[in-house]
Amino acid sequence: MLAMDKTKAQAWAHGFYVHAIGLTRRSPTFVAGLCMVLFFLGVAIFAGVIAPYSPTESFSYDILRAPSDRFIFGSDGNGMDVFSRVIYGCRYAFGIAVPAGLIMVGIGLPLGLIAGYKGGLLDEVLLRTLDVLRAFPTIILALAVVAATGQSLISMVVVIGVLDSPIFARVVRAEVLNLRASTFVKAAVAMGNPAWRVMVVHILPNAILGATAQLPMRMAWAVRISATLAFIGVGIQAPTPEWGAMIRQGAEYVITGEWWAALFPGLALMLLVLGFNLLGDGLTDILDPKRRGVGK
Amino acid sequence: MAQEKTLVMAMSATPKGFDPDIWVPGQIEAAVNLYEGLTKYGTRSGANGKVEVDPSKIEPHLAESWTVSPDGKTYVFKLKRGVRSPFGNELTAQDIVWTYEKSALQKRTGQFMRTAARIEKVEAVSKYEVRYTLSDANRIFLGALTLHLPAIFDASEAKKHATPDDPYATKWLALNTAGYGPYHLQALQAGQQAVFVVNPNYAFKKPYYTKMIWREVPSPATRVALVRTGQVQYAEQIPFQQLTALRADNTVKVESVPGFGGATVRMNPRFPPFDKVKVRQAVAYATDYAAIGEAVFLGQGTRSRSMLNSPIAGAVNAYKYETDYNKAKQLLAEAGYPNGVDVTLEYSTNWWWEEPLVLQMQASLAKAGIRVTPKRIPSTEMLARRTINVWTVPFLTHLTSSFVPDPSYNMFLTAHCRGSSNVNANCDAAMDKLIDASVVERDQKRWLALIEQAQNLQADSATFIETFLPGTHEVFAACMKGYVWKPHNRLVWKDLSCNS
Amino acid sequence: MGGQTARIARFIGVRLAVSAPVILGIVFLTFMLIRMGGQDPVAMLAGPMADEAMLNALRAQLQLDQPLLAQFANYMVRIAHGDLGVSWQGGIPVLNEIRHLFPATLELVLLSVALAALIGIPIGMRAATKPNGWFDQISRFVSLAGFSMPTYWMGLMAILVFFYILRWAPAPMGRLSMEVAAPAVVTGSILVDALLEANWRAMGSALAHLALPVACFTMLAAAPMIKQTRAIVIEIMGSDYVRYARANGFSAATVRRMALRNAATPLLTFLGSELTSLLAAAALIEYIFSLSGLGQWGLNAILLGDFAVVQGYVLTLALFSMAIFMVIDLIVMLIEPRN
Repeated sequence: MLAMDKTKAQAWAHGFYVHAIGLTRRSPTFVAGLCMVLFFLGVAIFAGVIAPYSPTESFSYDILRAPSDRFIFGSDGNGMDVFSRVIYGCRYAFGIAVPAGLIMVGIGLPLGLIAGYKGGLLDEVLLRTLDVLRAFPTIILALAVVAATGQSLISMVVVIGVLDSPIFARVVRAEVLNLRASTFVKAAVAMGNPAWRVMVVHILPNAILGATAQLPMRMAWAVRISATLAFIGVGIQAPTPEWGAMIRQGAEYVITGEWWAALFPGLALMLLVLGFNLLGDGLTDILDPKRRGVGK
Repeated sequence: MAQEKTLVMAMSATPKGFDPDIWVPGQIEAAVNLYEGLTKYGTRSGANGKVEVDPSKIEPHLAESWTVSPDGKTYVFKLKRGVRSPFGNELTAQDIVWTYEKSALQKRTGQFMRTAARIEKVEAVSKYEVRYTLSDANRIFLGALTLHLPAIFDASEAKKHATPDDPYATKWLALNTAGYGPYHLQALQAGQQAVFVVNPNYAFKKPYYTKMIWREVPSPATRVALVRTGQVQYAEQIPFQQLTALRADNTVKVESVPGFGGATVRMNPRFPPFDKVKVRQAVAYATDYAAIGEAVFLGQGTRSRSMLNSPIAGAVNAYKYETDYNKAKQLLAEAGYPNGVDVTLEYSTNWWWEEPLVLQMQASLAKAGIRVTPKRIPSTEMLARRTINVWTVPFLTHLTSSFVPDPSYNMFLTAHCRGSSNVNANCDAAMDKLIDASVVERDQKRWLALIEQAQNLQADSATFIETFLPGTHEVFAACMKGYVWKPHNRLVWKDLSCNS
Repeated sequence: MGGQTARIARFIGVRLAVSAPVILGIVFLTFMLIRMGGQDPVAMLAGPMADEAMLNALRAQLQLDQPLLAQFANYMVRIAHGDLGVSWQGGIPVLNEIRHLFPATLELVLLSVALAALIGIPIGMRAATKPNGWFDQISRFVSLAGFSMPTYWMGLMAILVFFYILRWAPAPMGRLSMEVAAPAVVTGSILVDALLEANWRAMGSALAHLALPVACFTMLAAAPMIKQTRAIVIEIMGSDYVRYARANGFSAATVRRMALRNAATPLLTFLGSELTSLLAAAALIEYIFSLSGLGQWGLNAILLGDFAVVQGYVLTLALFSMAIFMVIDLIVMLIEPRN
């Protein structure tokens, strides 16, 4: 029996290996992106083990120290270790950027789809409603809503996600308009497919390309806007190790030569956004067979 | 013909108004250079030979002399002759009377100063003589007259802009200036810059700088870059942590003065657990003063020893608390919190040290079982909730300071139940009695004794956690000379000069 | 041609009719939200030495003690007369300030978006023609750096490098050097006004002062442009329409033109969205470079609870956004052959 299990496990591992190779060949970007995102996810999960200090422990006699053995990335204006804060910051990056991005897609995608496909009055109403959200400077709306619903991280994330969905919906709608008139969609309609089926099965997969393109950008924006809100005093409270707030505070010191407080969280943000970027691009490579071989 | 000398200042925002009775951002910084008082503080030579203000010496300024009645309630000031405004009008007693009438109508800051100095009546006795009648003789009065408010306006000019429903031209005076001070507003482009020129008829020593350009540069880092490259000769509100780098830079000069404002953390005895004095004292013992001095004030702050600090007369070392976590835990247990307690410390962005101080408090109080949650709130909310008789902030940061370096006045403002800078419902009958008595006490020895008693009482009640004096730090171009700190804690332009 | 004009007229008519309630909704929401946001500006206005009596008096004077709806009704009546209220800091009329400050923001945003489109679209297209080629990879990386770099940090780094260290850029202290006289105000944009009176000195100074902020802002704006263009073009290249054209033997150049035509719609729509979102983001750039534009003023007002100013700011942005969307959608309707 043990021999049987062993071969089963071997078969499974072999299968996995073959799939992995196949996947890599089909889209190295996807795998690269996945690895990067998983890396940061791992850092977020094992932050307690990796970080040498607590992210909020203040070393009163070591304010703004340059990177050294003690503080790998230096210490910030409150004497806290930048390295530990960047590590723990991964948690907040995933806790803010990802949910906000998903909410944005979750709202914007169906709305853009429906508005683009159905058209008419429904389209107008949806669009104008989205425009209301769109025309608002985010700061005010965010400030007011978060202040009214309580200063939790969750409400801030929801607000950010909701506020950005209109941009997304508009882009999706534009692509849907294009697709609506294409041959294969017309054919699908002519064949008697109900509207919902046409939307979901025929149009949606093609509109997703626009979605995956926007997602990493909007996630980066989510981190940036949460920093601006923290600056106003809404959402993130000191001394939470959130990258956006860290960059905002650290940027001030750049002018007097203390470059480390802003650079490291900035790099971390860039790399994570790059990871999601590659992941998204890779995903489209894999999902859409038409995409491959174009222009090569 | 004298050459025009211009000083360019990088400020955080253009002034939003110039009427000293109506506070708006930037108003005080401008008004202290536009309007002057009947008296002024004398100077002395301080440590390392620098000129500093001597709060015990009050000297004539726009008034050349005065007499006092034996009961101390009536003062008659003789105005200096030939004092003219940029519009050419001469200072007369009518201007003074007009000023107080205007303040009484507006019921704002000017009115408050009047109440604090116990001014009952202001009358013109003759063209150049003004009589002040006080309800009580008090020590605040002469010091209050050094201030720029209630501003002494050129009433003749101001009246030209009065209208039937604005008889004191408050609308015009909000955005224009007409006074007897060294400078005068020439032009204001909101959001960009304000230009001030010297009053050609200024009655005293002509200032070196004939033109002041106040430019709006909202970003502090940009202000630093500008002063370091010589594009401006003064940069306002530079972050404290950048001063270290600036001190090392020889294109820039940093003038630092301890001042007498103290960075404090206040507890409101109307909110548990702060209703128990033992809890408050526990907080005082659980504060790590050394760490705060290093982390927040970078070793450059002066430790605050009482609710009053030098150069205020009568300041004693009343605040005896030092870091002692065991004592703190013991006191907490005695007060009924053997397992510690959870509190929220609210702060805002009024002062640069608020957030770093709050974070240090959080770290150190935790060691005594006091679990602090920092909470940052918008400054307008803080201002609203900490107002006298509103008092809904249980635990907050605040700077103890005032315009007048008089001990009774400071204590009244900050620790008296009717003081408008009392932000934490500090209402103790015994304390109020002491303060009221000190305001009207005329005997020097008895007065000093009262003040000492009040400070000790305050320290024992532990509603204020005294940390450090953040000091005032002004950043200039390296050549700048003549800077003298004044108790109103704002930059005075007429003293400055630069022979580069 | 008459039919075309009629179409346009009908489009604008419908759009205006539909937009009016939306604008009203925005004004109403802003009005309510800022008053409910927990901010109380009265204490700030009353000054550091106020007591409760003074606060209440001030509140009554500013009509803040009345029920919210009554306040809103008053506000609408005043707007109908063209009065947007005054800033509580100094009593400056809001409408005047908007007229004064908006051109600076517009100048910055329009220049940056135009540059970003000029740079971003061609790059995105070239990257799309050879996906995963070396040009694509590099442009992807550059665009990524652009939109994940925080605005604030980028601006300060630019000042540090190009002003402080290299002394190439002029002092980030306004839109003109102090010794240069400003041109007569016609549009409010210094560039345009200087051009109108052939004042080359002022124009040069204005351009020099705009260089760094526009460069930062363009980087910010170009990145999403590159990415989105690439995505759109790739999608179109792979669409049936294009394949059909290729299969029918159309030349590569013709196919490209067809693709471009199709790309125009989503691209234009995206451009419109970017323009409006960048308008709000301009505040940060204005703050760092002291450009005294609308964004800086609005941001300050939000922090200080200057309600009338905040309302005016939001109204301006809302109207402008609606106008942009309308223009973009109009163009799309005209060039889109199948709608």
